[in-house]
Amino acid sequence: MVQITDMKKKGNPYLPKLTTIEGIIRENDVNDLKTFKLVFKNPDDFKKFEYISGQFAELSFFGAGESPIGIASSPTEEGYLLFTVKRVGVVTTSLHESKEGTTVGIRGPFGNGWPIEDLIGHNLVIIGGGFAFSTLRSLTVYILANRHLFKNVTVIYGAREPAELCYKQDLAEWEKRDDLNLTLTIDRAVDGWTKKVGFIPAVTKEVAPSANNAYAIVCGPPVMIRFTIPVLTELGFSNDNILLSLENRMKCGIGKCGHCMIGEKYVCTDGPVFTQTQLQSMPKEY
Amino acid sequence: MKEKILLKAQLPKLIEELRKIYRVLAPVKDNGFYVYKAISSADEVDLDFANTKIPPKEIFFPRSEVLFTYKRTDNGIELIEPENSVEKQVILGIRGCDAQSFLLLDKFFAYGKFDDPYFAQRRKNTLLIGLACNDPRSTCFCTSVGGSPFSEAGMDIILTDLGDKYLVKSLNVKGNELLERIPWIEDANERDIFDAMQLTKKALAAIKEELPIEKLNNTFAEVFDEDAFWLQFSQKCIGCGSCSFLCPTCHCFDVVDEESSTGGKRIRLWDTCQFPLFTLHGSGHNPRPTGRQRLRQRVMHKFNYYPKILSEIGCVGCGRCILACSVNQDIRVVFKAVQES
Repeated sequence: MVQITDMKKKGNPYLPKLTTIEGIIRENDVNDLKTFKLVFKNPDDFKKFEYISGQFAELSFFGAGESPIGIASSPTEEGYLLFTVKRVGVVTTSLHESKEGTTVGIRGPFGNGWPIEDLIGHNLVIIGGGFAFSTLRSLTVYILANRHLFKNVTVIYGAREPAELCYKQDLAEWEKRDDLNLTLTIDRAVDGWTKKVGFIPAVTKEVAPSANNAYAIVCGPPVMIRFTIPVLTELGFSNDNILLSLENRMKCGIGKCGHCMIGEKYVCTDGPVFTQTQLQSMPKEY
Repeated sequence: MKEKILLKAQLPKLIEELRKIYRVLAPVKDNGFYVYKAISSADEVDLDFANTKIPPKEIFFPRSEVLFTYKRTDNGIELIEPENSVEKQVILGIRGCDAQSFLLLDKFFAYGKFDDPYFAQRRKNTLLIGLACNDPRSTCFCTSVGGSPFSEAGMDIILTDLGDKYLVKSLNVKGNELLERIPWIEDANERDIFDAMQLTKKALAAIKEELPIEKLNNTFAEVFDEDAFWLQFSQKCIGCGSCSFLCPTCHCFDVVDEESSTGGKRIRLWDTCQFPLFTLHGSGHNPRPTGRQRLRQRVMHKFNYYPKILSEIGCVGCGRCILACSVNQDIRVVFKAVQES
């Protein structure tokens, strides 16, 4: 397992490594969510790109700039990286408009990632809403590849409508497994949907995962987080055992440019993963 | 090494000696304002100045800097790192506050897992010949943030203006080596050293106020959520960001790409937390949407976060932010308000 250490990194951290887009998966009907499969031009760069689930990277579209994007692939997936990108601004639109074969720069991995060491030997409750599921996809794939290290695994994943659920192929495979308790939900009922209907907080309450020896790992839009935390608290999860991943505008990814600061913490280097206990002591500047 | 004496008439001779070995940067009067510039003749140098309008941080951290260029080739993209060949350089006439700011920036850019190679490369091979402040400005408050008009921190040599001559004091091996190369420079006498001491006392007395900023560290955190406290200052702020662009320790930056027909370059530019765009998310959400939060960020970063992260106050008391502010914001007034809260 890769360990995130405090050791100094060598080299120029502003210089991207070059990758090629080798696959593009259209994730939703609206077509503003795509997953890009990136392969390093120099295979050595992939070996040096040692990451853990929950970390992110800065993707460069040359001429447009850089965007910090969570890594959706798992370190157990060899040879490529996955990034699910929502079309929002200049860089993400350029990425969306590119075809396979396009060169994309990448810097990273950055950030602390999910605290895998702490999660080992625990029951895990993974809760995601919308396209924020990307680093949770990474974590789930990692867990399934190292299933013996973890106890019960519950995944609750919701989106506005069925078409907005990402990673449909993975979800179909996970549903067949008996070592993973998967609950999928959508906001409003639609024809042909036989699974749960309802917002994440309500569904979490219904699934009622035990807080015993468990971590809750939550990613989603702010409103989902706001209403899910009280449900988890009610279920008995302590603030130390609720993990969240933050996003803030950032440029450098290495704690220098100042954009992502929240109090004395940098989302890019101290985060993006924080416990609810940490977040409570930080200003609400995210 | 014993203190030396340099007659002001000998200054051009010294500068020409330095120019043989170093790229020399010194205060130059340009369009009515002083600025540190690489000089090509001793005539350009004007040491009869209070301080420069733009801080010398731009020598190591330029306001716009190419991180790399890229070329579009048949095989995709080729990246080219800039050659920041660093000549040996001397900054002549640096003030104590600005020399202190370099020490802070050194610490900041080397903090954490990643060093900033661009800053580090420009910073190394730099010798600092300071100039003590005989006449601090009314906006100076270095003594409130651990500095002094006669601070030697970060310098290799310090000059003290004694009227028609400078007392020259070497502060380390690098300073000794430089002075040894100048055989004609004479030793100072007791009287010169005494005169310099008197000037120190006078300069210290000229800074009227001393604010207990170090003791205020926690108080800043206590007023964090008091909107009315920050509003009294932010109401008149126009959010121009001059305070941070002209601050010797502000180091935040933006990164942008500039495309040309055959490739392009990635550039970093000074940025400021005083702009709403600084924190704006792609979704439209802004974690610091109001001026009050942005003003608070700048104050908190320097006087509360900086001490927590780097064990130092992120301010050297040069007073540039006070001088530059078009609505007369005065950071010292904020300190007093914090103290009284």
